[in-house]
Amino acid sequence: MKHIKPGSGIEVGVDTGGTFTDIVFRFPDGTVRIAKERSTPADPGRAVIDGILKNARAWGVSLDDIERVVHGTTVATNAIIERRGARVGLITTDGFRDVLEIGRQMRRDMYDLRIQPVAPAFLVPRARRKDVPERLLASGEVLVPLDEDAVLEAAKDLVADGVRSIAVCFLFAFLNPAHELRARAIIKAAFPELHVSLSCEIDPAIREYERTVVTVFDAYVKPVVSDYLEKLEHNLVAHGIDGPFQVIQSRGGLCSAELARQKPVKLVLSGPAGGVISGEKISSDSGRGDIITVDVGGTSSDIALIHKGRAVIRNEGTVDGYPVRVSMVDVNAIGAGGGSIAWLDSSGALRIGPHSAGADPGPACYARGGQEPTVTDASVVLGYLEPSRFAGGNMTLKPELSYEVIKTRIADPMGTSVEAAALGIHRVVNSQMAEGIRFVSIKQGFDPRGFSLIPMGGGGALHVCQLARDLGIRTILVPSRPGVMAAEGLLSAPVEHEAKRSVHWSFADTTLNQVLESLTNLDAECAVAMAKDGVPEGKAKVRHFADVCYEGQSFDLEVPFTATDAGLRSLPEAFYDLHDRVFGQSTDGPVRLVQLKSVHSYLAERSDMGASFPATAGDQGSETRSIVLPGAGRVDAAIFQRASLCPSTEIRGPAIVEQPDTTLLIDQGWTGRIGDEGSLVLTCNPDTGVTK
Amino acid sequence: MNMSVQDDLDPVTVEVIRNKLEGIADEMGIKLIRSSFSPMVKEGFDAAASLFTIEGEVLSQAMSVPGHLSALVPIVRQFLKTFPLDRMSPGDAFILNDPYMGGTHIPDIGMMVPIFHDGRVIALSATISHHQDLGGMVPGSLPTTATELFQEGFRIPPLRYRTAAGEDQTFLALLRKNVRFPDMLLGDLNAQYASCVVGIRRIQEMADLYGGTFLQHCFASILDRSEQMTREALRRVPDGTYRYEETIDNDGVNLDQPVKVAVAVTVRDGLIDVDFTGTNPQVAGPINCVPAAATAPVYFAVRAASGAHIPTNGGCFRGVTIHFPEGSLVNPLEPAPVNSRTAALKRIAVCMLGALRQALPDDIPADAASQLLVLIFGGTRDGGQRYITGELIVGGGGAGSGLDGIDVIDTDNTNCMNNPVETLEFDAPLLVRRFELAPNTGGIGQYRGGLGVRREYLVLEGSASFTHRGERHFFPAKGFRGGGDGQPARSEILRKDGSKVDIPSKMVTTVAAGDRIIVQTAGGGGYGDPALRAQDALAADLADGKISAEALTRDWRRPADAPSEPADA
Repeated sequence: MKHIKPGSGIEVGVDTGGTFTDIVFRFPDGTVRIAKERSTPADPGRAVIDGILKNARAWGVSLDDIERVVHGTTVATNAIIERRGARVGLITTDGFRDVLEIGRQMRRDMYDLRIQPVAPAFLVPRARRKDVPERLLASGEVLVPLDEDAVLEAAKDLVADGVRSIAVCFLFAFLNPAHELRARAIIKAAFPELHVSLSCEIDPAIREYERTVVTVFDAYVKPVVSDYLEKLEHNLVAHGIDGPFQVIQSRGGLCSAELARQKPVKLVLSGPAGGVISGEKISSDSGRGDIITVDVGGTSSDIALIHKGRAVIRNEGTVDGYPVRVSMVDVNAIGAGGGSIAWLDSSGALRIGPHSAGADPGPACYARGGQEPTVTDASVVLGYLEPSRFAGGNMTLKPELSYEVIKTRIADPMGTSVEAAALGIHRVVNSQMAEGIRFVSIKQGFDPRGFSLIPMGGGGALHVCQLARDLGIRTILVPSRPGVMAAEGLLSAPVEHEAKRSVHWSFADTTLNQVLESLTNLDAECAVAMAKDGVPEGKAKVRHFADVCYEGQSFDLEVPFTATDAGLRSLPEAFYDLHDRVFGQSTDGPVRLVQLKSVHSYLAERSDMGASFPATAGDQGSETRSIVLPGAGRVDAAIFQRASLCPSTEIRGPAIVEQPDTTLLIDQGWTGRIGDEGSLVLTCNPDTGVTK
Repeated sequence: MNMSVQDDLDPVTVEVIRNKLEGIADEMGIKLIRSSFSPMVKEGFDAAASLFTIEGEVLSQAMSVPGHLSALVPIVRQFLKTFPLDRMSPGDAFILNDPYMGGTHIPDIGMMVPIFHDGRVIALSATISHHQDLGGMVPGSLPTTATELFQEGFRIPPLRYRTAAGEDQTFLALLRKNVRFPDMLLGDLNAQYASCVVGIRRIQEMADLYGGTFLQHCFASILDRSEQMTREALRRVPDGTYRYEETIDNDGVNLDQPVKVAVAVTVRDGLIDVDFTGTNPQVAGPINCVPAAATAPVYFAVRAASGAHIPTNGGCFRGVTIHFPEGSLVNPLEPAPVNSRTAALKRIAVCMLGALRQALPDDIPADAASQLLVLIFGGTRDGGQRYITGELIVGGGGAGSGLDGIDVIDTDNTNCMNNPVETLEFDAPLLVRRFELAPNTGGIGQYRGGLGVRREYLVLEGSASFTHRGERHFFPAKGFRGGGDGQPARSEILRKDGSKVDIPSKMVTTVAAGDRIIVQTAGGGGYGDPALRAQDALAADLADGKISAEALTRDWRRPADAPSEPADA
């Protein structure tokens, strides 16, 4: 067992992205060093190992001093998107083998007459879906006992058909796991090398289609993830890096690679989690509890909410359009980013997206053959981006290409100047992003005006002032390194395990003893996992939640509570309050407990990464550049370098702050100062209204 | 070819405002669906939210069921007629469900609120929800045997539901006494009102910023733009008159009388005229549909044929004219029953697509099963507690050029989710014994029609009133370009005593503990010559049991040993 020994060595975070693998080293004194390496998609582990070794050498770090490695991986997600998962078999209740293919029978696009499949039947074609006699009732009682011979026969057939992995999903197994557990025992006894995923363990919750899909996804990615993590851990150890090796899960917590391999589907929505965890850290460091993070990438923007210092968690997300019921940080993607293409529709209206130039060929100004005007091209024309200093000087932009493509595609047909067209592109895409952010907030019952905004990714900082203004947000926190927030978040995430149980109890009939009995089991399950992951006994923070709904209603809400007499009694009231927030109304009607959940988390105490600043501002803001702003036209903006800002610097918009990972546009009416925690805090002058 | 809308508005500002209108409708939709109690809304998404101009044209609409694409239009126009703008006050909300005064059928209640700015109405915010029960002769208010509107439930003419002072208590007291689940209904009306209020607040915020008059100019421009883009897109449809016919099994009352739907779609220079002449006269049973309802599938087909990039609003349909012959199935005279109109609406959609397919053969697949089987169980448990639960089950999709039909998928102007077996069994004393694809039901062809589905129920306790509203039992989904027809639907009841009852498409009966009900939906039509079906596609279907070995020789006329193993099934 690898114990976590806080503060004794160097911590390494590695976040694998499509283009770059970001590497973060945190030293015992809290300082941080960051490097970007090219990803190696064919063998993503190579960039991880090579990146650690190369930078350890460059920074004079002995591998023995590396205390732990935290990894954000897209292996599970990519296996699904690229259809590279394992050959899977599915065993179901007699009469229900087609649940996976029938789905919910609802199509995604109402007006598309050439319909594509909406359920992921590709995971397991019908020939590899076997049903066996067994049946539980809605009470959890056994109606038909499990036909054990049939299970064995099914497994034999599937193995003969070449499967590496079997998913088992029986009706009502979330109420009574006995048949699924027995089925696994039978399969494992005959074929010990097979991976088996049980619905009662992966997702013990009502609704057979959604439970089947997530269980089958687990089985589909399990061999891939297992092989990947096993090999990576082996390589780390071979290089003498033998401390804890942890991966981030979709709900933003870490667990050991060893445990992650057991329920790998929990990794499939983990891509954006690191960034949001960074947002949580900024929330806690800055004392601002309510935050919206907006990560503007090339093809889309990811939006997440942090409420009272905690990322909002939801119970279900989607991968490649399919529902995946795993707890995840509630990140919502909207189809507008820096690479989104601007076009004129046949009525002459200026439209942005949903098509994107992506990273390849990318915007026209990348000079890689992009022939379509993008949002980034508009940013170049408007003077926001300095062509010679883009991406830390790693790429030189060609502004004349941006100018040309916006002129011929947009400005000339509209009969306007190129600058007016570029400004139009920004206004339209900002309105789309702002509506996206508003929708995400409203869905959770929040008014965005009470929130602060954190821009992330390469593009967030260019749009953030206009978005804040549209949303009525008056405070913006610009992190030290907005472009590598996901990698940094890995090192501030807690070790976390979650256990849940479906209950379906009428609250009126529910006793404290019943609840305590369930929670005791769930806590024990979590405690075992935490201990396996090296968390000292008694150190974990324990939180309990109940998913609650009105009797007769099928949407439930997660309500935190304490398992005491008083805590239980106040549960309906807490539910009514939450219902009122999220849905704008509530009644004091009878409620039902749907699920109980226990979450154990542990975050080692750390010396904070104290931000260091130059003593004096130096020659700041004397350089200016002519830029074009919505509502203000052409103005001179002072140019600042982020690295040389000091706490005494006050920046009044219009201004531009440049740094290797992003460019920040500070609008007129906004003032920026370095906050105590190292973020650049922008505030809106009270007399500045909303720009149309 | 680019014919920009000529107005003096800045097109960027118009697009910014359009994005906001879409955002507002989405926000209204979220509020409506998530705060509703009725399973029809919360699981079936049978609801819609829209913003309207004060002239009664749709500005933006939350995506839900396309059947509601135009459903709010006649409702809003009826409100505007009964309560002119100068008689509206802030805080007002209006409701109706009367099919002969703007509504579509009794369970759908429309609600509208005026949006005031600077003392005048600048826009309207409206919602429609399918409520679980509005009284009448059967629980769920969808009696397939109704012969007059009065049997179908509690009728609400256009009424002022509330003012700034609150709801009309007299009306609510009356309503409560006429429906089976008054608390649920009132909760859902609250949800509709809360959704409308979202529209009020956000439009008012925009008007504060831009000015009400300017905003209204933008609304007009947004509608003009969609009108122009739709017209331009439809110019690719060759001019001409295209006809198609479909047949409805029966009207639920006269079980031996099929009912014909006929359309003639005339396309000229991007304008579309639809004529229902030749359609059956109105019928005794409840499958009649008022023009307000019959418009939706017409608009759906126009919208689907004109391109995804066009913003959906009232402008898209300005170039569409429709003739509904008086006294016909699509324009019945009061008080003809209308509750089961979906059967007719889906046939209208198939007719529209079938007609347009003659002009656009590569874009529009063969006929889909296009059936929405509605089952309603309203019963009593052994202990005496009452329950009600509804099921919506669909058939197979049509095959198209290069495209097999999707197995079990909702198509055309509805888009409903099925009920999970586990939630159904929680709510009702029923046991679902199987829910499986029905082999051999898709039409044969180079591309195979989608399969229907088989679902079997066992009644565990007490007894229940059972409504079966089927379709496609006697008239299959037709294949296209040499493809075969899909298999028809069929349903039966196996009584505890061993007797068997065939369900003739539509039926209301009583079922009791021990009875089994087996329903099977229809398959979609095939596309192209079945002799051209790829060998490995047939082999995969055979391995998957989507076609049987007998069907391979009998229907597909291939030798039994011909298919090779699929390369990688």
